[in-house]
Amino acid sequence: MHPAISARGVVKSFGRQRVLDGLTVDIPSGVTYCLLGSNGSGKTTFIRTVVRLLHLDGGEMNVLDTPVSEVDGIYSKIGYMTQHKALYPDLTVEENMQFYAGLYGIGGQRREKKIGELLAMVDLSGHRSRLAGALSGGMYQRLSLACTLIHEPELLLLDEPTVGVDPRLRQTFWEYFGRLTEEGKTVLITTHLMDEAEKCQRMGYMRAGRMAAEGSPEEILRLAGLLPRLMLWLAQPDSDAALLRREGYEAEVSGGIVIVRLESHARIKEILALVSPLDMRLAEPRLEEAFLLLSEGA
Amino acid sequence: MSPSPTRAGVVALRVIRQLKRDRRTIGLIVFAPIVLMVLFGYALSGDMSGVALGLVDGGGHDALRDHIESVKDFNILHLGSESDAEKLIGEGRLDGAVVLLPDGVRVLLDASSLQIAGAIAAAVQAGAVAESAVKQTAAPQQGAESSAKSQIVTRYIFGYDLEMMDTVGPAILGLVVFFFTFINAAIAFIRERSQGTLEKFMVSPLSRVEMISGYVLGFSLFTVLQSATTLFVVTSGFGVPLHGSSLTALLVVLILGAGALVLGCFFSNFARSEFQVVQFIPLIITPQIVLCGIWWPLQSVPEIIRPFSYMLPLTYAAHALRAVMLKGAGIGDILYPDLLALGLFFLIFFALATMMLRRDVD
Repeated sequence: MHPAISARGVVKSFGRQRVLDGLTVDIPSGVTYCLLGSNGSGKTTFIRTVVRLLHLDGGEMNVLDTPVSEVDGIYSKIGYMTQHKALYPDLTVEENMQFYAGLYGIGGQRREKKIGELLAMVDLSGHRSRLAGALSGGMYQRLSLACTLIHEPELLLLDEPTVGVDPRLRQTFWEYFGRLTEEGKTVLITTHLMDEAEKCQRMGYMRAGRMAAEGSPEEILRLAGLLPRLMLWLAQPDSDAALLRREGYEAEVSGGIVIVRLESHARIKEILALVSPLDMRLAEPRLEEAFLLLSEGA
Repeated sequence: MSPSPTRAGVVALRVIRQLKRDRRTIGLIVFAPIVLMVLFGYALSGDMSGVALGLVDGGGHDALRDHIESVKDFNILHLGSESDAEKLIGEGRLDGAVVLLPDGVRVLLDASSLQIAGAIAAAVQAGAVAESAVKQTAAPQQGAESSAKSQIVTRYIFGYDLEMMDTVGPAILGLVVFFFTFINAAIAFIRERSQGTLEKFMVSPLSRVEMISGYVLGFSLFTVLQSATTLFVVTSGFGVPLHGSSLTALLVVLILGAGALVLGCFFSNFARSEFQVVQFIPLIITPQIVLCGIWWPLQSVPEIIRPFSYMLPLTYAAHALRAVMLKGAGIGDILYPDLLALGLFFLIFFALATMMLRRDVD
């Protein structure tokens, strides 16, 4: 399958500052992709070049198999949620949604059905006739997301969509994104919340206008040299650790516990064939550590 | 993608919904013109001081002439002939005229302003009495003869009452619409930008042409509302005549309003906040008030800056509205140059506004 977005050596400068400095990335179709990076690393600029709000200074990009220079022709397939939320505070929740539906030529029953479904998803069904300006920050955010989804876009570009949204609802969002990717849609999200990144199928870590690390969460962790560790409580820790080392494992004894670094989770089975622990625990490395390592190793 | 009227309609509907909910703006659109009108109306309808009186001096009535010239409230304009005087009264430039001829005195009065006519007639009578007194002292034996000579004939002419409100009223109708549409449009577009909705439009099938057209449509409804109230106040409240069709007047105002809207959209690119929009008033609005011939004729604008007057849309709107309301002009009469100029102004700024919308985002 073709990638939803494919960027090759993309360059974008503002004055002397190269905000995108030869960025290369493939964002596959049908996944939730997390774009991570500290403030000013170029995440928003990248999204804005994808929708051609900014023109490239160099490099090549294809969006949904269309050269980025012709992306205006496929705007109806793209849903773009900016950090500004893009709502009319003096219109009601329902009127905001009707307006955006109208822009994409969605009317009649289809419109009402879609509005009902999305308002339920963002938990605003009871607020249809409230003015958007009277909503709380989180509700406003949710309405903005609902408006972005109204035309069932193939490619969703969400710039910090979950800021100010409570954890329970955030979970609902992710489940909805999961459903969208099952339908073959692509969701690109920028965030600096690591626990969200872990829910993505793929992620990219941007630094200084380039992709510093890119892949599935496991691949990112491995790239940072972080492996899951298996902690084993054994009757004879020292001799068992020596046995594991002879078999090629990285094992050490600390406080009477044997700690083995796992290159993959599949290895657990093989280890259990060699030793019989009284108890064991798996310690997954955290993405946060990986990104800290990656940003330090600049 | 070709422009779709449906999408422009969606924008128009949204603009209407927003404005409808904004009570303060609605109030301003409807009532501010009324307040303005009442203010201007009273300030400008000053009846008695400055009666414009024409004087044709054919000789023979020096004492009467001196008396009339001594009346403080009269602004005397010396004219060559009675027909000149008649014409100027007909055009509303004079309130009346006194024609002094050796064989009699003829007083021409504007029938539409009886109060002023009365004042002029009274002054002439008083002058005639003074004159006969002078003549009787000089040559008492010719008394009977001379009073026959100075027989006063009064003629009424239908001009219209040249209260200043009449000429200013139609132009103010244009000014009010221009002012409010310009400010409201500029602020609306500033908001589109700060809310992030403009950025979102750029990434939707809605084109810039459709977006601005939608705004023109939506705002037009309020322009009609505003013009209708203003027109009503001007005609029934201040008795400004409406000889032409109110629909023609509305058409002029609609084209002017559309021009003000795209101008507002264009200038919103140069402002970062609503506050800065307000700062455009002295720059955009004031020159129009001063130079477009609302208060004084264009002919009195110095020739060096007169070409500038002809670049301002309000100049044409004021001219066209006066023609429609006071002279009963139809669309055909004001097509060239007024409607053409207004249309051209709209098209130029429509194009500029559309182009600028893109540049802003890039």
